[in-house]
Amino acid sequence: MATSFKQIEENLKNEARKLLEDQKVSLVLAYGRGYDENHPVPFVAKVAADVENIVFNEYCTANMARYLVRYPRGTKMAIAVKPADSRAVVQLIQEDKVKREDLILLGIPVIGMKNSKTGEAIDGKTTCGLYNPVLYDVLLGEEIHGQPVDSPYDVLAQYEAMDKDERFAFWKKEFDKCIRCYACRKACPMCYCDPCFIDQNKPKWGDKSPQSHGNLMYHLTRFHHLAGRCIDCGECSRACPVDIPLYLFHKKVARECEEMFGQAAGNSIQDKPVLVNFRVDDSDKILE
Amino acid sequence: MSFEPKILGIACNWCTYTGADLAGTTRLQYPQNIRMVRVMCSSRINPSFIFKAFQLGADGVLVGGCHPGDCHYNTGNLYARRRLAVTKKILEFSGMEPGRFRVEWISASEGNKFAEVVSEFTEQIRNLGPQTKFKIEE
Repeated sequence: MATSFKQIEENLKNEARKLLEDQKVSLVLAYGRGYDENHPVPFVAKVAADVENIVFNEYCTANMARYLVRYPRGTKMAIAVKPADSRAVVQLIQEDKVKREDLILLGIPVIGMKNSKTGEAIDGKTTCGLYNPVLYDVLLGEEIHGQPVDSPYDVLAQYEAMDKDERFAFWKKEFDKCIRCYACRKACPMCYCDPCFIDQNKPKWGDKSPQSHGNLMYHLTRFHHLAGRCIDCGECSRACPVDIPLYLFHKKVARECEEMFGQAAGNSIQDKPVLVNFRVDDSDKILE
Repeated sequence: MSFEPKILGIACNWCTYTGADLAGTTRLQYPQNIRMVRVMCSSRINPSFIFKAFQLGADGVLVGGCHPGDCHYNTGNLYARRRLAVTKKILEFSGMEPGRFRVEWISASEGNKFAEVVSEFTEQIRNLGPQTKFKIEE
Protein backbone atom coordinates (compact mmCIF):
# COMPACT_ATOMS: atom_id res chain seq x y z
CA MET A 1 0.00 0.00 0.00
CA ALA A 2 1.45 3.31 -1.03
CA THR A 3 1.84 6.08 1.51
CA SER A 4 -0.55 8.98 0.95
CA PHE A 5 0.73 12.28 -0.42
CA LYS A 6 -0.35 14.03 2.78
CA GLN A 7 1.72 11.61 4.84
CA ILE A 8 4.74 12.09 2.58
CA GLU A 9 4.40 15.86 2.88
CA GLU A 10 4.36 15.51 6.68
CA ASN A 11 7.44 13.26 6.64
CA LEU A 12 9.23 15.61 4.25
CA LYS A 13 8.55 18.60 6.52
CA ASN A 14 9.75 16.77 9.63
CA GLU A 15 12.89 15.51 7.96
CA ALA A 16 13.68 18.94 6.44
CA ARG A 17 13.10 20.69 9.77
CA LYS A 18 15.37 18.26 11.58
CA LEU A 19 18.17 18.64 9.03
CA LEU A 20 18.01 22.45 9.02
CA GLU A 21 17.79 22.74 12.80
CA ASP A 22 20.79 20.46 13.29
CA GLN A 23 22.60 22.43 10.57
CA LYS A 24 23.46 19.27 8.74
CA VAL A 25 22.53 20.99 5.48
CA SER A 26 22.39 24.61 4.40
CA LEU A 27 19.37 24.17 2.18
CA VAL A 28 16.60 21.74 1.34
CA LEU A 29 15.36 21.46 -2.23
CA ALA A 30 11.67 20.60 -2.22
CA TYR A 31 8.34 21.87 -3.49
CA GLY A 32 6.33 24.91 -2.44
CA ARG A 33 2.84 26.17 -3.11
CA GLY A 34 2.31 27.90 -6.45
CA TYR A 35 -0.68 30.07 -7.33
CA ASP A 36 -2.96 27.21 -6.38
CA GLU A 37 -2.83 23.65 -5.03
CA ASN A 38 -2.46 22.10 -8.47
CA HIS A 39 0.57 24.10 -9.50
CA PRO A 40 3.35 23.54 -7.00
CA VAL A 41 6.66 25.26 -7.70
CA PRO A 42 10.26 24.35 -6.86
CA PHE A 43 11.09 25.65 -3.42
CA VAL A 44 14.33 26.06 -1.49
CA ALA A 45 14.12 26.00 2.31
CA LYS A 46 17.10 27.72 3.91
CA VAL A 47 16.00 28.11 7.54
CA ALA A 48 13.77 25.96 9.71
CA ALA A 49 10.93 28.49 9.48
CA ASP A 50 10.75 27.99 5.68
CA VAL A 51 9.78 24.39 6.17
CA GLU A 52 6.12 25.31 6.76
CA ASN A 53 5.88 26.31 3.08
CA ILE A 54 6.87 22.89 1.78
CA VAL A 55 4.13 20.95 0.03
CA PHE A 56 3.97 17.62 -1.71
CA ASN A 57 1.10 16.38 -3.81
CA GLU A 58 0.46 14.50 -7.04
CA TYR A 59 1.36 17.53 -9.15
CA CYS A 60 4.91 17.91 -7.79
CA THR A 61 6.50 16.69 -11.00
CA ALA A 62 9.49 19.07 -11.26
CA ASN A 63 12.88 17.40 -11.16
CA MET A 64 14.68 19.09 -8.28
CA ALA A 65 18.03 17.64 -9.32
CA ARG A 66 18.00 20.53 -11.80
CA TYR A 67 18.87 22.92 -8.99
CA LEU A 68 21.81 21.00 -7.51
CA VAL A 69 24.32 22.38 -10.00
CA ARG A 70 23.34 25.97 -9.25
CA TYR A 71 25.02 26.03 -5.86
CA PRO A 72 28.77 26.19 -5.30
CA ARG A 73 30.59 22.90 -4.99
CA GLY A 74 30.71 21.68 -1.42
CA THR A 75 27.37 23.18 -0.35
CA LYS A 76 25.64 20.68 1.89
CA MET A 77 22.22 20.06 0.45
CA ALA A 78 19.22 17.91 1.09
CA ILE A 79 16.97 17.15 -1.84
CA ALA A 80 13.56 15.57 -2.20
CA VAL A 81 13.89 12.93 -4.91
CA LYS A 82 11.25 10.99 -6.74
CA PRO A 83 12.41 7.86 -8.60
CA ALA A 84 13.51 9.61 -11.82
CA ASP A 85 15.05 12.47 -9.85
CA SER A 86 17.19 10.03 -7.90
CA ARG A 87 18.54 8.68 -11.18
CA ALA A 88 19.36 12.25 -12.20
CA VAL A 89 21.28 12.70 -8.95
CA VAL A 90 23.17 9.46 -9.58
CA GLN A 91 24.02 10.66 -13.07
CA LEU A 92 25.23 14.02 -11.75
CA ILE A 93 27.43 12.21 -9.23
CA GLN A 94 28.84 10.05 -12.07
CA GLU A 95 29.66 13.22 -13.97
CA ASP A 96 31.26 14.73 -10.87
CA LYS A 97 28.99 17.76 -10.79
CA VAL A 98 28.01 17.06 -7.18
CA LYS A 99 29.56 14.90 -4.51
CA ARG A 100 27.73 12.08 -2.81
CA GLU A 101 28.92 13.16 0.64
CA ASP A 102 27.47 16.67 0.21
CA LEU A 103 23.99 15.36 -0.41
CA ILE A 104 21.23 13.96 1.70
CA LEU A 105 18.61 12.33 -0.49
CA LEU A 106 15.07 12.29 0.84
CA GLY A 107 13.60 9.54 -1.29
CA ILE A 108 9.93 9.59 -2.18
CA PRO A 109 8.29 6.46 -3.57
CA VAL A 110 5.56 7.66 -5.89
CA ILE A 111 2.61 6.23 -7.68
CA GLY A 112 -0.19 8.19 -9.30
CA MET A 113 1.58 11.43 -10.19
CA LYS A 114 -0.38 13.74 -12.47
CA ASN A 115 0.53 16.29 -15.10
CA SER A 116 -0.62 19.66 -13.76
CA LYS A 117 -1.19 21.00 -17.28
CA THR A 118 -3.37 18.23 -18.67
CA GLY A 119 -4.38 16.31 -15.54
CA GLU A 120 -3.22 13.07 -17.17
CA ALA A 121 -1.56 10.40 -15.09
CA ILE A 122 2.21 10.16 -15.44
CA ASP A 123 3.40 6.61 -15.99
CA GLY A 124 5.83 4.58 -18.08
CA LYS A 125 4.53 6.23 -21.26
CA THR A 126 6.25 9.55 -20.63
CA THR A 127 8.74 8.69 -17.89
CA CYS A 128 10.89 5.80 -16.70
CA GLY A 129 7.89 4.54 -14.73
CA LEU A 130 9.81 3.45 -11.62
CA TYR A 131 8.08 3.47 -8.25
CA ASN A 132 11.03 3.69 -5.87
CA PRO A 133 14.15 5.90 -5.90
CA VAL A 134 17.34 4.04 -6.83
CA LEU A 135 19.43 5.95 -4.30
CA TYR A 136 18.29 7.57 -1.05
CA ASP A 137 19.32 8.18 2.54
CA VAL A 138 15.85 8.44 4.03
CA LEU A 139 12.74 6.98 2.47
CA LEU A 140 9.70 9.13 3.25
CA GLY A 141 7.07 6.46 2.85
CA GLU A 142 6.73 2.78 2.35
CA GLU A 143 8.56 1.13 -0.49
CA ILE A 144 6.18 0.22 -3.30
CA HIS A 145 6.42 -3.39 -4.35
CA GLY A 146 5.67 -4.72 -7.76
CA GLN A 147 6.78 -3.93 -11.26
CA PRO A 148 5.40 -1.26 -13.57
CA VAL A 149 2.91 -2.75 -16.02
CA ASP A 150 4.48 -1.37 -19.18
CA SER A 151 8.13 -1.20 -20.06
CA PRO A 152 9.15 2.47 -20.45
CA TYR A 153 10.01 1.80 -24.10
CA ASP A 154 6.69 0.27 -25.17
CA VAL A 155 5.43 3.61 -26.36
CA LEU A 156 8.14 3.73 -29.05
CA ALA A 157 6.81 0.81 -31.10
CA GLN A 158 4.35 2.81 -33.16
CA TYR A 159 6.98 5.41 -34.10
CA GLU A 160 9.58 2.82 -34.99
CA ALA A 161 7.07 1.14 -37.26
CA MET A 162 6.64 4.34 -39.25
CA ASP A 163 8.18 4.73 -42.67
CA LYS A 164 11.19 7.08 -42.58
CA ASP A 165 9.50 9.78 -44.65
CA GLU A 166 6.46 9.62 -42.43
CA ARG A 167 8.66 9.86 -39.35
CA PHE A 168 10.51 12.83 -40.79
CA ALA A 169 7.19 14.55 -41.49
CA PHE A 170 6.11 13.81 -37.93
CA TRP A 171 9.26 15.30 -36.38
CA LYS A 172 9.27 18.25 -38.76
CA LYS A 173 5.72 19.08 -37.74
CA GLU A 174 6.66 18.80 -34.07
CA PHE A 175 9.91 20.77 -34.30
CA ASP A 176 8.30 23.50 -36.38
CA LYS A 177 6.06 24.22 -33.40
CA CYS A 178 9.09 25.04 -31.28
CA ILE A 179 9.22 28.69 -30.18
CA ARG A 180 12.75 28.36 -28.76
CA CYS A 181 11.82 29.30 -25.22
CA TYR A 182 14.38 26.75 -23.98
CA ALA A 183 12.04 25.54 -21.26
CA CYS A 184 13.20 21.97 -22.05
CA ARG A 185 16.77 22.99 -21.39
CA LYS A 186 15.85 24.83 -18.19
CA ALA A 187 13.82 21.93 -16.84
CA CYS A 188 16.41 19.28 -17.65
CA PRO A 189 18.67 18.18 -14.78
CA MET A 190 21.39 17.08 -17.20
CA CYS A 191 21.47 20.32 -19.26
CA TYR A 192 23.99 22.33 -17.29
CA CYS A 193 26.44 23.50 -19.99
CA ASP A 194 27.37 27.14 -19.79
CA PRO A 195 27.12 28.35 -22.44
CA CYS A 196 24.82 25.95 -24.24
CA PHE A 197 26.07 25.15 -27.76
CA ILE A 198 23.07 26.93 -29.26
CA ASP A 199 23.96 30.18 -27.46
CA GLN A 200 27.43 30.24 -28.97
CA ASN A 201 28.13 32.71 -31.74
CA LYS A 202 31.51 31.42 -32.82
CA PRO A 203 30.96 28.86 -34.20
CA LYS A 204 27.29 29.49 -34.67
CA TRP A 205 25.81 26.01 -34.68
CA GLY A 206 22.24 26.87 -35.41
CA ASP A 207 19.95 29.76 -36.06
CA LYS A 208 18.47 31.24 -32.91
CA SER A 209 15.22 32.40 -34.44
CA PRO A 210 12.43 29.81 -34.35
CA GLN A 211 12.77 28.44 -37.85
CA SER A 212 12.77 24.86 -39.07
CA HIS A 213 16.48 24.39 -39.59
CA GLY A 214 17.60 26.04 -36.36
CA ASN A 215 15.01 24.07 -34.40
CA LEU A 216 16.15 20.82 -35.99
CA MET A 217 19.77 21.55 -35.19
CA TYR A 218 18.97 22.51 -31.60
CA HIS A 219 16.83 19.50 -30.84
CA LEU A 220 18.93 16.86 -32.60
CA THR A 221 22.12 18.08 -30.98
CA ARG A 222 20.40 18.24 -27.62
CA PHE A 223 19.26 14.64 -28.01
CA HIS A 224 22.83 13.73 -28.82
CA HIS A 225 24.23 15.58 -25.81
CA LEU A 226 21.80 13.70 -23.59
CA ALA A 227 22.53 10.32 -25.12
CA GLY A 228 23.28 7.83 -22.37
CA ARG A 229 22.62 10.53 -19.78
CA CYS A 230 18.91 11.19 -20.10
CA ILE A 231 17.23 9.62 -17.09
CA ASP A 232 13.77 9.73 -18.61
CA CYS A 233 11.98 11.99 -16.12
CA GLY A 234 9.91 13.45 -18.95
CA GLU A 235 10.21 16.93 -17.49
CA CYS A 236 11.27 18.45 -20.86
CA SER A 237 7.99 17.52 -22.50
CA ARG A 238 5.93 18.64 -19.49
CA ALA A 239 7.75 21.99 -19.45
CA CYS A 240 7.20 22.48 -23.18
CA PRO A 241 4.55 25.18 -23.81
CA VAL A 242 3.76 23.81 -27.27
CA ASP A 243 3.74 20.13 -26.24
CA ILE A 244 6.51 18.69 -28.38
CA PRO A 245 6.86 15.01 -27.35
CA LEU A 246 10.59 15.31 -26.68
CA TYR A 247 10.43 12.32 -24.33
CA LEU A 248 9.90 10.03 -27.34
CA PHE A 249 13.22 10.88 -28.91
CA HIS A 250 14.99 10.74 -25.55
CA LYS A 251 13.50 7.31 -24.87
CA LYS A 252 14.61 6.09 -28.27
CA VAL A 253 18.18 7.27 -27.78
CA ALA A 254 18.24 5.88 -24.24
CA ARG A 255 17.08 2.51 -25.46
CA GLU A 256 19.63 2.39 -28.28
CA CYS A 257 22.39 3.25 -25.81
CA GLU A 258 21.18 0.59 -23.44
CA GLU A 259 21.14 -2.01 -26.21
CA MET A 260 24.48 -1.04 -27.70
CA PHE A 261 26.46 -0.42 -24.54
CA GLY A 262 24.56 -2.48 -21.99
CA GLN A 263 24.10 0.22 -19.42
CA ALA A 264 21.18 2.47 -18.56
CA ALA A 265 21.70 6.00 -17.28
CA GLY A 266 21.65 6.78 -13.57
CA ASN A 267 21.59 3.33 -12.06
CA SER A 268 24.77 3.19 -10.04
CA ILE A 269 27.27 5.80 -8.87
CA GLN A 270 30.13 3.45 -9.82
CA ASP A 271 29.26 3.52 -13.54
CA LYS A 272 30.73 5.90 -16.08
CA PRO A 273 28.45 7.62 -18.60
CA VAL A 274 28.47 5.47 -21.75
CA LEU A 275 29.78 8.08 -24.17
CA VAL A 276 32.84 8.97 -22.08
CA ASN A 277 33.67 5.31 -21.80
CA PHE A 278 34.46 2.52 -24.24
CA ARG A 279 35.20 -1.14 -24.43
CA VAL A 280 37.90 -2.42 -26.73
CA ASP A 281 35.51 -5.17 -27.78
CA ASP A 282 32.63 -2.86 -28.76
CA SER A 283 31.30 -4.33 -31.96
CA ASP A 284 31.61 -2.50 -35.28
CA LYS A 285 28.05 -3.68 -35.88
CA ILE A 286 26.76 -0.71 -33.90
CA LEU A 287 27.81 1.51 -36.80
CA GLU A 288 25.71 -0.30 -39.35
CA MET B 1 21.27 17.15 -66.01
CA SER B 2 22.10 14.05 -64.10
CA PHE B 3 22.40 14.20 -60.33
CA GLU B 4 25.94 14.54 -59.01
CA PRO B 5 26.03 13.84 -55.28
CA LYS B 6 27.90 16.18 -52.97
CA ILE B 7 29.66 14.16 -50.31
CA LEU B 8 31.50 15.40 -47.27
CA GLY B 9 34.40 13.22 -46.18
CA ILE B 10 35.77 13.78 -42.71
CA ALA B 11 39.05 11.92 -42.39
CA CYS B 12 41.49 11.39 -39.58
CA ASN B 13 44.92 12.84 -40.23
CA TRP B 14 46.89 9.71 -39.38
CA CYS B 15 45.08 6.94 -41.22
CA THR B 16 42.28 7.80 -43.62
CA TYR B 17 43.76 11.05 -44.90
CA THR B 18 47.11 9.38 -45.44
CA GLY B 19 45.25 6.49 -47.07
CA ALA B 20 43.59 9.01 -49.40
CA ASP B 21 47.04 10.40 -50.17
CA LEU B 22 48.22 6.93 -51.01
CA ALA B 23 45.24 6.41 -53.30
CA GLY B 24 46.28 9.61 -55.05
CA THR B 25 49.96 8.83 -55.37
CA THR B 26 49.22 5.35 -56.69
CA ARG B 27 46.91 6.99 -59.30
CA LEU B 28 43.79 5.10 -58.26
CA GLN B 29 40.58 6.36 -59.83
CA TYR B 30 37.70 7.31 -57.58
CA PRO B 31 34.73 9.70 -58.00
CA GLN B 32 35.37 13.38 -57.46
CA ASN B 33 32.14 13.86 -55.56
CA ILE B 34 33.85 13.66 -52.20
CA ARG B 35 35.19 16.77 -50.45
CA MET B 36 37.68 15.81 -47.80
CA VAL B 37 38.10 17.62 -44.53
CA ARG B 38 41.04 16.63 -42.39
CA VAL B 39 40.70 16.38 -38.63
CA MET B 40 43.34 15.22 -36.20
CA CYS B 41 41.31 12.27 -34.95
CA SER B 42 37.91 10.76 -35.62
CA SER B 43 36.96 11.61 -32.03
CA ARG B 44 37.51 15.28 -32.93
CA ILE B 45 34.28 15.08 -34.91
CA ASN B 46 31.48 16.90 -33.18
CA PRO B 47 28.15 15.24 -34.10
CA SER B 48 26.90 18.73 -34.94
CA PHE B 49 29.37 18.75 -37.87
CA ILE B 50 27.32 15.99 -39.42
CA PHE B 51 23.94 17.62 -38.82
CA LYS B 52 25.37 20.90 -40.10
CA ALA B 53 26.78 19.26 -43.24
CA PHE B 54 23.36 17.86 -44.08
CA GLN B 55 21.79 21.25 -43.45
CA LEU B 56 24.28 22.93 -45.75
CA GLY B 57 23.34 20.55 -48.53
CA ALA B 58 25.60 17.51 -48.31
CA ASP B 59 23.96 14.43 -49.82
CA GLY B 60 26.11 12.08 -47.79
CA VAL B 61 28.71 12.15 -45.05
CA LEU B 62 31.57 9.68 -44.87
CA VAL B 63 33.69 9.53 -41.74
CA GLY B 64 37.07 7.81 -41.89
CA GLY B 65 39.20 6.81 -38.94
CA CYS B 66 41.96 4.43 -37.95
CA HIS B 67 41.10 0.82 -37.29
CA PRO B 68 40.07 0.32 -33.66
CA GLY B 69 43.23 -0.33 -31.70
CA ASP B 70 45.43 1.56 -34.18
CA CYS B 71 44.50 5.09 -33.14
CA HIS B 72 47.42 7.52 -33.06
CA TYR B 73 46.07 8.68 -29.70
CA ASN B 74 45.42 5.11 -28.55
CA THR B 75 41.74 5.43 -27.65
CA GLY B 76 40.30 8.24 -29.78
CA ASN B 77 38.49 6.11 -32.31
CA LEU B 78 37.05 3.89 -29.59
CA TYR B 79 35.21 6.91 -28.18
CA ALA B 80 34.32 8.00 -31.71
CA ARG B 81 32.84 4.59 -32.47
CA ARG B 82 30.32 4.88 -29.64
CA ARG B 83 29.55 8.51 -30.36
CA LEU B 84 29.04 8.09 -34.11
CA ALA B 85 26.89 5.03 -33.52
CA VAL B 86 24.55 7.25 -31.51
CA THR B 87 24.66 9.91 -34.25
CA LYS B 88 23.59 7.29 -36.73
CA LYS B 89 20.64 6.20 -34.59
CA ILE B 90 19.56 9.80 -34.12
CA LEU B 91 19.66 10.48 -37.86
CA GLU B 92 17.71 7.32 -38.44
CA PHE B 93 14.97 8.09 -35.91
CA SER B 94 14.61 11.65 -37.18
CA GLY B 95 13.71 10.22 -40.57
CA MET B 96 16.97 10.63 -42.49
CA GLU B 97 17.91 7.73 -44.78
CA PRO B 98 20.46 5.71 -42.79
CA GLY B 99 22.53 5.10 -45.94
CA ARG B 100 23.58 8.74 -46.13
CA PHE B 101 25.93 8.49 -43.19
CA ARG B 102 28.75 6.02 -43.04
CA VAL B 103 31.76 5.34 -40.88
CA GLU B 104 34.71 3.39 -42.25
CA TRP B 105 38.01 2.39 -40.72
CA ILE B 106 40.71 2.90 -43.36
CA SER B 107 44.39 2.67 -42.48
CA ALA B 108 47.25 4.65 -44.04
CA SER B 109 48.24 1.68 -46.21
CA GLU B 110 44.74 1.01 -47.55
CA GLY B 111 44.65 3.31 -50.57
CA ASN B 112 42.71 0.62 -52.41
CA LYS B 113 40.09 0.38 -49.73
CA PHE B 114 39.71 4.17 -49.71
CA ALA B 115 39.06 4.27 -53.45
CA GLU B 116 36.64 1.36 -53.20
CA VAL B 117 34.70 2.84 -50.29
CA VAL B 118 34.38 6.23 -51.97
CA SER B 119 33.20 4.68 -55.26
CA GLU B 120 30.71 2.45 -53.50
CA PHE B 121 29.39 5.23 -51.25
CA THR B 122 29.03 7.66 -54.15
CA GLU B 123 27.06 5.06 -56.07
CA GLN B 124 24.85 4.48 -53.04
CA ILE B 125 24.13 8.21 -52.64
CA ARG B 126 23.47 8.53 -56.37
CA ASN B 127 20.78 5.89 -55.99
CA LEU B 128 19.28 7.60 -52.96
CA GLY B 129 18.97 10.88 -54.85
CA PRO B 130 19.35 14.43 -53.57
CA GLN B 131 19.08 14.99 -49.86
CA THR B 132 16.24 17.43 -49.20
CA LYS B 133 15.13 16.64 -45.68
CA PHE B 134 17.69 18.56 -43.66
CA LYS B 135 18.76 21.00 -46.35
CA ILE B 136 18.04 24.62 -45.58
CA GLU B 137 15.69 26.03 -48.20
CA GLU B 138 16.74 29.27 -49.74
